[in-house]
Amino acid sequence: MYISTRWLSRHVDLDGLDAHELAQQLTLSTCEIEGVEPFAPHLSAVRVGHVVSREPHPDADKLSVCRVDIGEDEPLQIVCGAPNVAAGQRVAVATVGTVLPGDFKIKKSKIRGVESRGMICSERELELGDDHSGIWVLPEDAAIGEGVREALGLEDWVLEVDNKSLTHRPDLWGHRGVAREVAAITGRKLLDLDLSGPPTGSEPPPPVRIESAACSRYLGLVIEGARSERAPLWMRMLLLAVGQRPIDLLVDLSNFVMLDLGQPNHLFDQSALSPEGIVVRRAHPGESMTTLDGEERSLEPSDLVICSGDQPVALAGIMGAEGSKVGAGTERLLLEVATFDPAVVRRTSARLGLRTDSSARFEKHLDPTLPLQAAGHFARLLRELEPGVSFPAQLADVGEWSDPATTLELRPERVRRALGGELSDDEQASLLERLGFGVRREGECLRVEVPSARATKDVTIEQDLIEEIGRLYRYGNLPEAPLVGTIRPPAPDPTRRMVRQIQDRLAGDARFHEVKSYSFQARDLHRRLGLDELEYVTVINPVAEGLERVRRDVLPSLLAVAELGRRHRDDVRLFEVGKGYRPECAGESGEPGEVHQVALLWAGPPPGQDAPYDQARFWRLRGVVEDLLRFLERDGVGFVPLDPPPPWAHPVKCLEIRLGEQPVGLVAELDPGAAPRLGLEGELESDVACAVLDLGALLAVPARTAAYRPIPRFPGVKVDVAILAPGDLPAGELAAAIEAAGKGVVADLDLFDLYRGESLGAGKKSLAWHVLLQSEKKTLTDKDAQKFLGRVERAVEKLGAELRRA
Amino acid sequence: MTDIQTLAEKARAEVAAAADEEALKAIERAYTGKDGVVAGLLAAIPTLDPSERRAAGIAANGLKQTVLEAIGSRREELAAGALAARRSGEGFDPTLPAPRPSRGSLHPLTRVTRELEDLFASMGYEVLDGPEVELGHYNFEALNIPADHPARDSQDTFFIDPEAHLVLRTHTSPVQVRAMERLEPPFRAIAPGKVFRQESTDASHDHTFYQMEGLVIGEDISVAHLIGAMKTLLRGIFGRELEVRLRPGYFPFVEPGFELDARCPFCEEGCSVCKRTTWIELLPCGLVHPAVLRAGGLDPERWSGFAFGLGLSRLVMLRYGIDDVRHLMGGDLRFLEQF
Repeated sequence: MYISTRWLSRHVDLDGLDAHELAQQLTLSTCEIEGVEPFAPHLSAVRVGHVVSREPHPDADKLSVCRVDIGEDEPLQIVCGAPNVAAGQRVAVATVGTVLPGDFKIKKSKIRGVESRGMICSERELELGDDHSGIWVLPEDAAIGEGVREALGLEDWVLEVDNKSLTHRPDLWGHRGVAREVAAITGRKLLDLDLSGPPTGSEPPPPVRIESAACSRYLGLVIEGARSERAPLWMRMLLLAVGQRPIDLLVDLSNFVMLDLGQPNHLFDQSALSPEGIVVRRAHPGESMTTLDGEERSLEPSDLVICSGDQPVALAGIMGAEGSKVGAGTERLLLEVATFDPAVVRRTSARLGLRTDSSARFEKHLDPTLPLQAAGHFARLLRELEPGVSFPAQLADVGEWSDPATTLELRPERVRRALGGELSDDEQASLLERLGFGVRREGECLRVEVPSARATKDVTIEQDLIEEIGRLYRYGNLPEAPLVGTIRPPAPDPTRRMVRQIQDRLAGDARFHEVKSYSFQARDLHRRLGLDELEYVTVINPVAEGLERVRRDVLPSLLAVAELGRRHRDDVRLFEVGKGYRPECAGESGEPGEVHQVALLWAGPPPGQDAPYDQARFWRLRGVVEDLLRFLERDGVGFVPLDPPPPWAHPVKCLEIRLGEQPVGLVAELDPGAAPRLGLEGELESDVACAVLDLGALLAVPARTAAYRPIPRFPGVKVDVAILAPGDLPAGELAAAIEAAGKGVVADLDLFDLYRGESLGAGKKSLAWHVLLQSEKKTLTDKDAQKFLGRVERAVEKLGAELRRA
Repeated sequence: MTDIQTLAEKARAEVAAAADEEALKAIERAYTGKDGVVAGLLAAIPTLDPSERRAAGIAANGLKQTVLEAIGSRREELAAGALAARRSGEGFDPTLPAPRPSRGSLHPLTRVTRELEDLFASMGYEVLDGPEVELGHYNFEALNIPADHPARDSQDTFFIDPEAHLVLRTHTSPVQVRAMERLEPPFRAIAPGKVFRQESTDASHDHTFYQMEGLVIGEDISVAHLIGAMKTLLRGIFGRELEVRLRPGYFPFVEPGFELDARCPFCEEGCSVCKRTTWIELLPCGLVHPAVLRAGGLDPERWSGFAFGLGLSRLVMLRYGIDDVRHLMGGDLRFLEQF
């Protein structure tokens, strides 16, 4: 919202108060001022000229050649095309070199052979209105040669208020209210304004019937004889300053009263209304109306409409109907000033996406005593501008409303305790009185009378009064105090601790980069990964079509950026700790099930044909997971094939991670069929492994503290075991056989070679382990190693394999 | 004798010329080995006149001694030379690049969040968590924002259902009432986390960002306490004392409510960060509204408190000079690698 300082001066003495200083004061005590701009600064460069003479252009019928005195030695010769230019007028002259709005620079020119040194401006060229039918004729007393802004007294500053900071202050949606506030915070005088009801006549009041409680008060004032087409210059300029385009006297006055007192109002052509008069009711099912903006609106029974008889003529508090517009020459007018239910106005305007200056004010909860003041203000201003108007009828004033003015109890001790400052009872009382609150002492308490303008919504409890005192006292004057009290060490938080451990291990030793992703996942991504058919939590108003799904799992978010990573880096290692939501696991109140996960992705160029098997990222990532679980002190790690694997995973290379019997996640290679759908093909062809760990499941498995094992007292012996085995014999079975053959002395078993080649014979593979034999009872020797190999030989033979002796 | 002396001279010369251990070993073998010169001399003794034998024996052994000593000192010389050569650092170019170990990284949001968590934990604040898909009750009603309240406008909510039974939380404030329900007062708590606003994105706005809620509940908690706590927070964030100011701010769940501005830490005369005002709007805060205390099951006559909301994403951007908020959630390695 915009506030004009010149407008404010109609209500409060601002003499000597700089606009920036005013903005600062308001910001510190009342609401946030986001900007301070001069009004129409370009009008300073445009000068008042006096048309000394006007001659027809020798070569053009529609042009005239004017000599214009701008207070310099010689009058300027200016060629002008406006039909209304005449000798003797005061006009606005843009001289050569002046830049007008729209970066329009005035140049010396020849128009049809006649030299022209400047331009006589229309209102539109100066951005003061739409009128381009002729030049702007200035008042006759404008001082020749002065800047138009100064000569007409148009110096003004416009303060831009952050509307959010006015959400709770319906009283500040008009200049009078802001002036009241300025008077309170600066101690300046609020000027008197007649806020009594309107003058009325003896005819019976216009018929008004309220059929819905959503309208608590409705005033109807009949006006006759308003004829002027234009609002006066001062009013038009004030409206322009706060961003309102002047239209005609009646519309401008209606807006002016709204922006002055904060009370919206509406004008109807009284003679066009049904004899039944005004009916305020809820819309009928299926009813529709076309609003002033030309849009056809279908209504719902929750909407409140103003009807002429049964015909809707306005959406209450929002906008009038098309064709209900009044203009100069409307013989008999009906002025509506009413109070509507904030929630009803808000719901309708939100549903229709129709936010107006009027609805913005009604939804803030307007004071029901304000309509009478506004009607009076409207009538008096109109009569001042048009002495010929009359108000022939009695005022219609219907509805059930009560004055919201209220009395609250304030405990001064409570104020001191809440603010932490030493404000005496008297100080508190005087601050409240500056705001127009009545204060009466009653024992230990203050009885505070809250005026109706502040009592509708904002000031309803003791804490609200504390705020009033605090902001007027200025929060900056309050002391600073340390929190005191017993500090209990916060309760241990195993989840947060584990998340930190995981982040540190992965970002450190495993050299992964931590990602934070949006919780939304694109439907398109789900299609690519085969996850489209699952159930998702969805938002009904996504930022973009296709982005309505809230993720179930974190991993797809990483898969979505795999291509981006691979485009710029060979080695892409990403992880994210985050949440996913499962609608099918809804809780008691309907909230979806929440999973807390760690997702890992490792992508890089495919390893060559001859690379050792464990260069594949699947195996390397599994190594990272095992290391991580060891670091988290989780025992009993095992991997079993996951059946069925998730749709994005390799159908075979997908293992469930278990701690004992508890599944805690999975590690898998990306399905080679899915990779191209993620853009990982051609130059970006990649070997991609993924893993997921469920934090909840991990936490369910108790950690064991790593126990100390004595350092071996006896030297062990190292021996290599090489085995030629059938291709389909799992390495794990051979390893188990080797371990068993050690009879408890196999301290370490490290597969260092796996080879399949034609030289071995079809369907064969060769595996080789470094084995460390170590006993707690004696030194093991080569002889022990040989005996061990003998046992291994017999054991693997039973599996159809053979020990290869060096 | 002359022969022996000549031989010794020759041996010394050979030793002096030896360039490495291998050459020394060869010389050692040639003189003192089984078939070496000394062995030859000793073998010839029985052929000598008995009167000469003793002297010849002494001479031969003297030769052996001489050769071994020469080899020994030459060996030391070579070792010293080798050490000196290694220490000379010949060819060392201090401007060569070091190999780059691959590394991982913690997200900048994680870094800043941890700093704050540690700071607050040291002052007895619990660190809490709350759901991202939140009940409308906690996001709105319990925070004194009933349906049809105009304050809902500024929330730009993502709705799961039209009745706002479920929403994506628009702030971390829902954790306030959840905390009151869970913890025994008095308590102090913070809750960092992800929040959502349905708005169009640009370099300074994203529909998803991070906040940190703070809540202190006790008896007689005042605005003065709030100011003190916020100054401590700023010292923790910026590492020095910053002037702060409170001005009125409207949030339905606090009363009175404030915007807290801090003196711009980056300039003295106004810069682009503070939009030339020398103040940066840092965090909304206020005393907890009695309706919120009641929603959390606390008696406002007995308990009071303050709450604040810190924009973590914005703080991260300020800290690292990040010019586009969308980098934070973009998953681009070229961004992540920098932390």
